[in-house]
Amino acid sequence: MSVIERLTGDFARLPGIGPKTALRLVHHLMKGSKEDTRRLSRSLLDLSERIRPCDVCGNFSEHELCEVCSNPRRDGTVLCVVEEAYEVGAIEGTGQYRGLFHVLGGRLSPLDGVGPEELNLAALLERIRRSEGEIEEIIIATNASVEGEATAVYLDQEIRPMGPRVTRLARGIPVGSDLEYVDGSTIAQALAGRQEMSI
Amino acid sequence: MRLNGLAIRHFRNLGSQDLELPSEGVALIGDNAQGKSNFLEAIYYLETFRSFRGARDEQLVAFHEGVFRVAGTLQERDTGRSMKVAAAFEKKGKRKKVSVDGAEPDRMGDVLGRLAAVIFSPADVELVSGGPRERRRFLDIVLSLSEPGYLTALQDYRKILVRRNASLKDGQPSSVVVAWDSGLVGSGARVMRARRDWIEQRCGAFRDYYQEVSGGIGAQMRYRPSVTLADAACKEDIALAFRDILAASGERERRMGTTVVGPHRDDLLLRLEDDAEGLDLRAYGSGGQRRTAALALRLVEARTIRETRERAPLILLDDVFAELDGGRRERVLALMEKEEMGQVVLTSPKESDVKIRKDSLPRWRIEAGRITA
Repeated sequence: MSVIERLTGDFARLPGIGPKTALRLVHHLMKGSKEDTRRLSRSLLDLSERIRPCDVCGNFSEHELCEVCSNPRRDGTVLCVVEEAYEVGAIEGTGQYRGLFHVLGGRLSPLDGVGPEELNLAALLERIRRSEGEIEEIIIATNASVEGEATAVYLDQEIRPMGPRVTRLARGIPVGSDLEYVDGSTIAQALAGRQEMSI
Repeated sequence: MRLNGLAIRHFRNLGSQDLELPSEGVALIGDNAQGKSNFLEAIYYLETFRSFRGARDEQLVAFHEGVFRVAGTLQERDTGRSMKVAAAFEKKGKRKKVSVDGAEPDRMGDVLGRLAAVIFSPADVELVSGGPRERRRFLDIVLSLSEPGYLTALQDYRKILVRRNASLKDGQPSSVVVAWDSGLVGSGARVMRARRDWIEQRCGAFRDYYQEVSGGIGAQMRYRPSVTLADAACKEDIALAFRDILAASGERERRMGTTVVGPHRDDLLLRLEDDAEGLDLRAYGSGGQRRTAALALRLVEARTIRETRERAPLILLDDVFAELDGGRRERVLALMEKEEMGQVVLTSPKESDVKIRKDSLPRWRIEAGRITA
């Protein structure tokens, strides 16, 4: 198999990339500067060799502790639990959250054989226990799918007896969207979870 | 809704035909195995986007063809507004495409029931003599088309149920299994409330229809939920009752490896009103009594369309009179005349069986799938 074929095949395995796009990327790289291509390959190598899960929260990290966990200015009393590490970025992107994270690495998904044992869950419970009351609130930010909901219920069951307050991200109308284009079940959820007007 | 035009491409044996339907409807006459039911199947496909006979989409594509397509031009009776509903299926790749006025909906659930049609078929007798699954399927179709939010609740319920069952089967500890309970109970309660309300509101109609067709005793339909609802009135009470029973059956479901209570175990009881006991039609009904009960269920379905969607339903009759005795046939016809029905499309092998609407329906003939006026 030629280098071109091999690389095209590798690209085509990435999400959102089909064989045609893969070939275009390969052609683009062949035409571009050698330095750019070398830098890309170094980045890929670094990615595979230097990125590891954070020892504490499971987020992507280049060191034992990720950037969030090693930042002393973060609020250690609040912990936000997400399914996947890339969701940390989504919440960080808001600039509104100053607490810490915990990455489960998935969600309860019995059809795929994923139970609590397969998730980064024991570490979460241990973290709460060891904080001896310092962690006051756990924000559950699992997805609003049936699996995400069941995972949230399970987490609540396990965590609440340990002391912290357990909260769940609100569900409803996406900000900036027209009601007309929001699907019915989202509107139904938003209706059920409506809130008093406040200034 | 009135079905004005129908364009068929390679649906079963119907080939390629563009038909204009008379506003009062049509009677399609033809020998057995010429494609009469296929014609009704094609029409009803535009209502639910699946075969009313339970056939898989692949089976609907004509031999040696890759794609079928059915498109209907509908017109609202009151406003005269027209709408085009189309459905196509490609065998290779198993792709289904549905569109309303050329636009593809985000979800198929959003465009179900545009035709407001009811189909009466000889296979309906299975609704009465078959297992509870048939009757749940009937309720689910009627309610999905008439009750906002029902389909979503049902789909959520099924999704959660298979996952909960998988964790039971997998032998997960009960703390993991119960994590699915709040979702199961929430969606399940919505399903049960809708089923109960529909049955309670329409049991009188069912009784009357049965009596009118049988010309004698009446029959009842009753909800038999797997969760005893006693007098749980609102959705919240139903959810509580469901939650209690679920908690109490923990040991049994662990043993069976599956969820043993919930709307997936519901049934619709159909009983004769001959004495205090009431004989179960499924076990004790005669052939004619079962057919009458099935007919009454479909009539209630048509009434639901009239009431909830405020439209005269399009009635599709697939050779349903053949198996009724003369008296019943007359009374069904009289009933259909009396009820506010919309267009009627009926099929029959015999001219003599189509005397509906004072015998005013235009006759079409079908031979080897080819329809001629």
